[in-house]
Amino acid sequence: MRISAAVLILTLIADLISQAAGVSPPGKPRLTSCRSPEKETFTCWWEPGDDGGLPTTYALYYRLENTETVKECPDYKTAGENSCFFDKNATSLWVNYNITVVATNALGRNISEPVEVDVVYIVQPNTPENVKAVVIHEDRDPFVKVSWDKPRTADTRSGWITLHYQLRVKQEEDKEWVEYDAERQKNYNVFSLHSDREYMVQVRCKPDHGFWSEWTQTTYVKMPNYIPRERSLWIMITIFSVFIVFILTWMLKVKHNSVKLCLLPPVPGPKIKGFDKQLLKSGKSEEVFNSLVIPGFPPTTDYDDLLVEYLEVYDNEEQELVLDGKDLSEDSMKSKSPSDSDSGRGSCDSRTLLLDKCMEGSGNDQHNYSQHGETSWASSSECSESQGSPGSPESTDGRMKTWPVVFSSPQPHHHYQVGATKPAYHSVPEILKHSPSHAIPSNYHQLYLQDIPPQEGRFTKPPCRHSQSYNQFNMDNVDISEAGVPPSRSLEYVEVQRVNPENILLLRPLSDPNREPEGSDRIDEDYSKVKEVTSNNTLLLQRETSHQVVNDYSQDFESYADQCTAQQTPHPCKPVMTQLHSQDMRVMGNGYVDTTVLMPLYKQF
Amino acid sequence: MAQGSRQYFAVAILMCAFVSINGVGLNDLLDRASQLSDKLHYLSTSLTNDLDSHFPPIGRGMMPRPSLCHTSSLQIPNDKDQAMKVPEDELLSLARSLLLAWSDPLALLSSEASSLAHPERNTINSKTKELQDNINSLGAGLEHVVHKMGSSSDNLSTLPFNGNNLGQDKTSRLVNFHFLLSCFRRDSHKIDSFLKVLRCRAAKKRPDMC
Repeated sequence: MRISAAVLILTLIADLISQAAGVSPPGKPRLTSCRSPEKETFTCWWEPGDDGGLPTTYALYYRLENTETVKECPDYKTAGENSCFFDKNATSLWVNYNITVVATNALGRNISEPVEVDVVYIVQPNTPENVKAVVIHEDRDPFVKVSWDKPRTADTRSGWITLHYQLRVKQEEDKEWVEYDAERQKNYNVFSLHSDREYMVQVRCKPDHGFWSEWTQTTYVKMPNYIPRERSLWIMITIFSVFIVFILTWMLKVKHNSVKLCLLPPVPGPKIKGFDKQLLKSGKSEEVFNSLVIPGFPPTTDYDDLLVEYLEVYDNEEQELVLDGKDLSEDSMKSKSPSDSDSGRGSCDSRTLLLDKCMEGSGNDQHNYSQHGETSWASSSECSESQGSPGSPESTDGRMKTWPVVFSSPQPHHHYQVGATKPAYHSVPEILKHSPSHAIPSNYHQLYLQDIPPQEGRFTKPPCRHSQSYNQFNMDNVDISEAGVPPSRSLEYVEVQRVNPENILLLRPLSDPNREPEGSDRIDEDYSKVKEVTSNNTLLLQRETSHQVVNDYSQDFESYADQCTAQQTPHPCKPVMTQLHSQDMRVMGNGYVDTTVLMPLYKQF
Repeated sequence: MAQGSRQYFAVAILMCAFVSINGVGLNDLLDRASQLSDKLHYLSTSLTNDLDSHFPPIGRGMMPRPSLCHTSSLQIPNDKDQAMKVPEDELLSLARSLLLAWSDPLALLSSEASSLAHPERNTINSKTKELQDNINSLGAGLEHVVHKMGSSSDNLSTLPFNGNNLGQDKTSRLVNFHFLLSCFRRDSHKIDSFLKVLRCRAAKKRPDMC
């Protein structure tokens, strides 16, 4: 009793003394971590507690789950201070280790908390080794190929451990790393690195079910100075397209007219001379139409213009016809002098008078023709060759061109009273003036007086044979003159055969006895018929809208080749001229303005 | 769920390919099986973490010892040296035995997961279902591997599981659930390791992958 009390007192005193001296039993150690780098061995580390001021020893004890045997750590040295290394023999997989650490010093011991460890769950490999980063220069932009080796201890060859690799790259000045996963490969290509920069590369690995290893030491790689292919490609594309644009612009400039024509064909604007758009906008049609009527319009001598409208074409020479007409009109407008080579030409010489060909005729006629120069007669129309009988109808072949001929006064100033329409036959009066006057053949009479039956059209078509008559300006066509006027036909045209030197327009009807009168009413609307020739050498036109004859006279014409009376004609020569005043203009039933009515007809004999 | 169905589909494709052309190499089969087993272990680890997030402290003390797992009687290599000595077909049969031993327990776990007294119950439930699908896929795939390898399929060890329920009260049910899951996690790691060893052994022509 006394001894135990004494021991107690001594222990107390010792404690007090030791406390006064600053020594104590060790603090409790703590196992910090256990790791296995290759699933074959593992190491545990602990943290020592307070040593109590006295030398303290630590011991690690472990116990496998199935056994009761407690074993002590086989190796305290290999893994360093405060560690325990379990070698292959001491390592078992898929079993729990119960590990504790005991700290012991002179004053006591302390035991750490136990830790249950299964080796397969604590696998953390070593870092990859031998990291290399090289710049590869191939056909493409340079890139970096990073390669490394597996950590030496990991046995991936047998499949005992499977490692996944990861690398990260950044420049020195960057804050964030860029990470790339390399899966189970041991190399990786890094693209899209900037040229002329230095990059840092690091690699680490992880087992399939475990912890990531530490990053390797930094490997430096320098990118070379290069121009990105993509950029150079874009530069080339830009230059090429600029070049193409230049070429296109130049081509466009050179050919801009034709391109413009192609893309924006000119739209012919409707033009009617004397037509006032404003009036039309005002909505008063009477004013509009009245404005169209111009005193003196149409030119009395330019009725051949209007004849254009009555062009009847039977064959494909129409084209030529129209063209001729156009040319002729232009010429006529240009040249007002009667000596104009292409003006004043009668039907024969006028290219537009697409009447029967003024074929080669008599010599004198040729002579007359030569006066005027051109002879497109022969080419203008191709009448049938059947020009034997004078009175024969027009060429039966469909190639005859008939041409309503309007006679115009020889007054030149009348020719262009109306500037609106280009007369196709504006040259007629000039022809009349130029041509030497010849005796009006009796055929004229026939033309006008007999060849125009009331029910016929106003104009008689000279038969195709008239080409011949053209050639023979005057009287050679007696036979022709004898040619009876063909019976009334749907279109009656008077064909200007020739302009004789006396400015006489010789007309011949285009007669076709074979043709039946067709729709003479219709024709009546379009044409004015010469009724008679007055003593004033004016053509009396018959205007028949309803089979009524309206005679209008125009006294404006001054000079008429008064050859009618001078000639012996079986029929009274009655120059007929009508000039309709503006008020005489009629709007025909078909909606057209019957300008033919306006046209003065001049007939000379 | 998607993962399991995807893998199931993958294995189905494998089967079709195998049946139709018999051209799927052993390497590819084992590679595919390894991927499935990898997924299996990953799921089990994830489940364990979910459970551990809200495990009652008292349960840890009640946790049965891992040696009480019903598959502990199976003799398996415990370290690498032992494993390297095991022939391929034995490794394969070990893997298949383990896999077979867990089909029933997983069914139990799956049924119990929905009524667990755990805040992560839904996640646990879905993952358990996925686990079950995965096991079935892997089992089917390993069947083909067996046929490909030509080994006999009759040396499977039977590891009976006698559990009908996990417990009476919710705590014990939770604890037992956790315990079963931990046993499964370990066994799935075994299967995965064995299959990957088999994979590298069969892929001697492709050293770059092993």
